[in-house]
Amino acid sequence: MSPTLDTVYRHSEDVISRFVEGELLIIPLVAGIGDMENDIFSMDETGKEIWTRLNGEKSAAVIIQELEEVFHAAPDVIRADVLGLLDELARRRLIIAVEKPV
Amino acid sequence: MSDDRVITTTIPEFFGGRNLYAQRKPASFELEITARCNSNCRHCYINLPADDAAARSKELSLEEIDSLAGQAVELGAVWCLLTGGEPLLRHDFEEIYLLLKRKGLLVSLFTNATLINEHHIRLFGKYPPREIEITVYGVTEATVRRVMRRPGMFKAFERGLGLLTSNRIPFRLKAMALRSNLHELREIAAYCRQRTKDYYHFDPLLHLRYDGNPLRNEEIRSERLTAQEIVQLEEMDPERMEAMIAQCDEFITAHAAGENCRHLFHCGAGTNSFLIGHDGRFRLCSSLNEPSCQYDLRTGTLAEAWHVHIPRVRALESQNPEFLEKCRGCQIANLCLWCPAHAHLEHGALDSWSDYFCEVAHARAEMLKRKANY
Repeated sequence: MSPTLDTVYRHSEDVISRFVEGELLIIPLVAGIGDMENDIFSMDETGKEIWTRLNGEKSAAVIIQELEEVFHAAPDVIRADVLGLLDELARRRLIIAVEKPV
Repeated sequence: MSDDRVITTTIPEFFGGRNLYAQRKPASFELEITARCNSNCRHCYINLPADDAAARSKELSLEEIDSLAGQAVELGAVWCLLTGGEPLLRHDFEEIYLLLKRKGLLVSLFTNATLINEHHIRLFGKYPPREIEITVYGVTEATVRRVMRRPGMFKAFERGLGLLTSNRIPFRLKAMALRSNLHELREIAAYCRQRTKDYYHFDPLLHLRYDGNPLRNEEIRSERLTAQEIVQLEEMDPERMEAMIAQCDEFITAHAAGENCRHLFHCGAGTNSFLIGHDGRFRLCSSLNEPSCQYDLRTGTLAEAWHVHIPRVRALESQNPEFLEKCRGCQIANLCLWCPAHAHLEHGALDSWSDYFCEVAHARAEMLKRKANY
């Protein structure tokens, strides 16, 4: 399922994220994410800003709004970047969509 | 905004790409969780009996390991190698393994594979190690028994290997070249190459005991191959020869790397890695057991060991003119087992030398010159 503006994500409990030398590293904990021997995941500056906001409370729309203030880029560009990254992170099982209360 | 999204990388790429290896950053560490072993290998530099109560009482507790691993992560370490002794002897191995993983460390394991059971398979299946490396001492019961000096070890080893294989948990195989298995090394190499996940290598260079036990040291010396035997084995290994010839200019250098330098440490010890001993002693590398070069983590911190203790050790100099002339002016030092740590194990001084290491290095140099038409 592709992320929408309303989707709220949190980090998967199957990965551990750490900052090393100012860089974000996402390290798989369980089988099936990366190949363990080679794959740790890293992200560029935009990715870091998005990752640190995926706290299970902020929707994609809120994150986009916050990044507009950080990057001063065109809203369409930020929106495409955030939704694209969320889609990729979800496909790689690094984040999980939080179910909305019924 | 950038088009880059999630980047997959490796530890060497991550540290190398940011030039962190040149900056003395702790990328990795060895965690020696026990000195005890269920085997009694003739050549081993550390093994103590599995039921050695005194050795067990000195081992780091789970809580101490938790604290030290947390400090290592704070320093920026990303990769931890669990070693021993035999790490799987620890009754709390699973807790240790998982706490390291949950701190965001990639965890590798050195084991003799004889204790691997279904429980470990489930653990490694769900929470994969970065890699498992296993030493093969022989491929017959008789040879394995001669080296490991415990009955039933070959059967136990094959059972462990079989469990890993049938559950598709990859492992790397390696060997030690010893007097006791020299007759079987071809078969050991073939066995390993058939089963290892990537490459196979053997190590013919034995160093002495960390505890200085004179009887055990005599056994190790008796397991050492002669310089000519080592060279013959290397010549028979095409992959090893190819690699040695490709690096010939690094092994036989135009000028001695340490010429006109009194510093003892020209190696990478304490540069991008360190070791936490089973008794909580910090070491720059596994072999560096000289007491003043160690640091007690039970009374200090890992940060102080890394930032204060290591620079002090790496600044040590030799005032021994014989050593400086013989070893510091040597152009084949990179073919030699010599290092301050091994020198101390051999003769009790960081700036002593070993005639045996010297013989091996010169025999290897002659062979390399011949092979590479130097």
